Amino acid sequence: MINGILTFYSGLLNGLVEVWAHKFRSLLSMMGIILGVAALVAMVGVVRGMIGEVRDYFERTGGITRLQVESREPPDEQSHIAHLSPGMTFRDVEAIQAGGTLIDLIDPEVSLGWRRYTYAGQSEHAPLQGVMPDRRERLQLQMREGRYIGDLDVEWASPVIVLGGWLGDLFFPNGGAVGQKIHVHGQTFRVIGVLENLGGPESRGWFQRQNRICYIPITAAMKRFSGDDRLSNLSVRVAEVAFLDDALAQMENILIQTHRGIEDFAVSTMEEQLEEFRRMERTFTFALGGVAGISLLVGGIGIMNVMLAVINERIREIGVRKAVGARGSDIFIQFLAEAVVISVVGGLIGMMASVGFVVFIREVIDVEQFRIALSPPAMVAGFLFSAVIGIASGIYPAVRAARMNVIDALRYE
Amino acid sequence: MALVEFENLSKIYRMGEETVRALDGVELRIEPGDFAAILGPSGSGKSTLMHILGFMDSPTSGQLRFEGREVSGIGRARRAWYRANRIGFVFQAFNLLPRLSVADNVQLPIVYSRSRIADRRKRALVALDRVGMTHRAKHVPSQLSGGERQRAAIARAIVNNPSLILADEPTGNLDSQNVVRIMDLFTELAREGQTLVVVTHDEQVAAYARRTIRMRDGRVIEDTVNGV
Ligand SMILES: Nc1ncnc2c1ncn2[C@@H]1O[C@H](COP(=O)(O)OP(=O)(O)OP(=O)(O)O)[C@@H](O)[C@H]1O
Ligand SMILES: [Mg+2]
Repeated sequence: MINGILTFYSGLLNGLVEVWAHKFRSLLSMMGIILGVAALVAMVGVVRGMIGEVRDYFERTGGITRLQVESREPPDEQSHIAHLSPGMTFRDVEAIQAGGTLIDLIDPEVSLGWRRYTYAGQSEHAPLQGVMPDRRERLQLQMREGRYIGDLDVEWASPVIVLGGWLGDLFFPNGGAVGQKIHVHGQTFRVIGVLENLGGPESRGWFQRQNRICYIPITAAMKRFSGDDRLSNLSVRVAEVAFLDDALAQMENILIQTHRGIEDFAVSTMEEQLEEFRRMERTFTFALGGVAGISLLVGGIGIMNVMLAVINERIREIGVRKAVGARGSDIFIQFLAEAVVISVVGGLIGMMASVGFVVFIREVIDVEQFRIALSPPAMVAGFLFSAVIGIASGIYPAVRAARMNVIDALRYE
Repeated sequence: MALVEFENLSKIYRMGEETVRALDGVELRIEPGDFAAILGPSGSGKSTLMHILGFMDSPTSGQLRFEGREVSGIGRARRAWYRANRIGFVFQAFNLLPRLSVADNVQLPIVYSRSRIADRRKRALVALDRVGMTHRAKHVPSQLSGGERQRAAIARAIVNNPSLILADEPTGNLDSQNVVRIMDLFTELAREGQTLVVVTHDEQVAAYARRTIRMRDGRVIEDTVNGV
């Protein structure tokens, strides 16, 4: 046993010497492993980034206690009376406020798309939304300056605006925004507050998009921009997770009345989205495992091929070693160690390449979408994989070398 | 007790229908301290005999005793042990590993005999000193002349103090000057008590030995002590 370890150890050293002696060939034989490991680590980084983005979004928007109301096509038997329903409107909000005893937070939204903001000769585009005071609590928005939209602002449809952190930085880099008048799409609004940037100054993804949004009272949005009381989105928060199912039923009861019995809406829980999210995670994991598996398999075949060639070249060496006393097991370990060296060195290079790969993807692919993380566990896994592949693909050639007959091997030209 | 005893020993190669009797009932004893030369025409079975003596091959039939033990049927691992610890083999083609230094080549039998690591290097240098090659320890074989390579190979053969040194046409690839040097070296080893068996085609080389064994058609046809 001790001897086996020693032989393996000197086999590793010997393997390093051999790999170094045939740099180019070794590199070629490592290519599959290098690409396999790099692809594995990079893909895990991409998927982690995407999933991390979805998770951030999920948690910041209220997690599991959130119910979302969505418009949808009414069932066929109602399609001839569908026009009777007013759709998703501000009346839904009023009805929930009146009857939604299990709901502790109502967050309707009138989305006005991207608008032009002008201040002191400077012009910028950013998204504009009409909301109610609860938005601040649901997203846990922090004020950098001033205050958020209040109940009276909504009641009076006041021409006031809360700037997103991004626009606040651009227009008022030194603060002092509150009380200033800015123009939004030709209308004058008074700044009442500026939001803190979410996710820190270097924010990405959902946070970055969030930080650009500016808010006006929902009533002002309807009166001054959209001209009707339709909502773009409606989310509510359930007071307690335990009441989730009851709250869902309550919401449906309230909304079926305001929609005059037309089922042109759906109340969905985040559980469905969570399931969707898990499914996505699974899909990616399998796709990724497949890609990594295939490339590592190809890498393994490459190594086996090279090892068979190496052994063919070194039949005489095998004969000499056996003639001076090497046992089959010594030869086996020697060549196995060499295959392991090739694959492990390949795995290390692959790990380094994966760093470059991830940086490259970050540069090339839309950085705003999500952050691509280097995952140390994925790197370790890729590395261990490469070692396993090395052992697996080295066994057959090493057995062939070990079985070789001394005299035949010595006679080989 | 004889070092090696062959009793009615045969080696038969089967190639399809044909059979070749490379050794055909060989009777032979090698005593400790022997310095024997084996002569014979090509194909007479000299190398086959050496391979069996050197534990690289096993006989088809007959008895083979080494240091008093019956060894004709032992397994591969056991034969490897004998090769590492009891036999030193010298080849016509030197058979040094090209990427290892001379010192590392000489150490190989110690590596495979699994002895203590600490004095490997020292023992290799002692062996190299005996063949006058200490100054070439760090060279690789391609940097050596043919004669030097064979001396390095002899150092490798003696490094584990084997009971028996076997040389199959060790001078076949050498010029006459180096033939003399190598044979002088063998003679000196023999004088120190080393048992040696040398296969050769050359009567002058055989003349260095104290005993001459002649073979033909897989048999020993003559076995004489020189100068008697
Ligand atoms: N592996 C083998 N398979 C079949 N026949 C073999 C094999 N090895 C040797 N022989 C045969 O056995 C006989 C003896 O061969 P061996 O190599 O022992 O002769 P040798 O005396 O060493 O000849 P040389 O002087 O040419 O080296 C020859 O006829 C040879 O063809
Ligand atoms: Mg021969």
